[in-house]
Amino acid sequence: MQSSEQPLKSELILNELKLRQRTKEVVDVEEERVKVIIFTCGGNRYAFYGGDVREFLPICDISWVPGLPEYLPGLINVRGDIESVIDIRHFLGEEKGDSFTGLIAMAVLDDFRSGILIDSIEDVVDVPQSAIKPPLSTLDGEARDLVLGELDYGGGLVTLLDIGKLASKISL
Amino acid sequence: MKGGAAQHLDLLLFSVEGVYFGIDAEQVLQTAACNGEDDDLLWIHEVLDFRTTSVVYLTPTIITAGTRGGRRYRVVIDAMEDITQCSLNDLRPLPPVLEPFAMRKGIWGILPRNGRMTLLLDLMSLLSTRVPQPPERRTEPCPEAG
Repeated sequence: MQSSEQPLKSELILNELKLRQRTKEVVDVEEERVKVIIFTCGGNRYAFYGGDVREFLPICDISWVPGLPEYLPGLINVRGDIESVIDIRHFLGEEKGDSFTGLIAMAVLDDFRSGILIDSIEDVVDVPQSAIKPPLSTLDGEARDLVLGELDYGGGLVTLLDIGKLASKISL
Repeated sequence: MKGGAAQHLDLLLFSVEGVYFGIDAEQVLQTAACNGEDDDLLWIHEVLDFRTTSVVYLTPTIITAGTRGGRRYRVVIDAMEDITQCSLNDLRPLPPVLEPFAMRKGIWGILPRNGRMTLLLDLMSLLSTRVPQPPERRTEPCPEAG
């Protein structure tokens, strides 16, 4: 029999639960989470940081401009703003078909802004920063120069692409 | 455009294979019908490196333009429209990503017009980058080139 000064077992358990909850909250606060957009391009899954993509546009007329390299199909008019379009398949080593029926991701990062052709959006997820692993050192292929890291998604690895690296590559 | 105060630009508009262009009318010294027999002509699709191997000119016109060095070229364009005056407010710069590439072809800006994009072409700049070569004799008739 418990004395009246002893805390009840339920109180002890409740306190423990609250302590655990507080600890969890602290952990949650400390663990930075990032929004990641998973998309397909050329049959493979890739991802961008959500903060680097302003919006997605349905495919529209792309005006060809003489003198552009193959990876720049041309210009689009986005509500009166003239924007460039990048065919990222060129840098990912993905096959290019004659026509394109996907989406245009409007990427904005610092001074860089451009549309990027993608096939489709797969998902938008919040993941802890720690879930993004450095790219495998054995990773090869044309995409290597653009890779920021890798993350698990849907039982497979998704390659996180760096818009900043893409911008640097194009301005070279 | 004279000086920096002008608020309008007179553009000579034309198109080739569905690509629309505008040239400052002051750069065009002369226009003439194309009879297809001249051998000193430059074809605009060749000067601009169109990707297609064959380009059909439906209503070709020869325009004469000069370089900074005073050299004159006769350039064949297609589907020439009237000269149109447009406000500088309607013109847009090229997106930075593709500006360096387009500028090498003399393309310096955009005029969004009638739901399409007209590429503003500085013919003087474009022609000034050409290395003068002896004229080649062309064998194909004027309306079809490439």
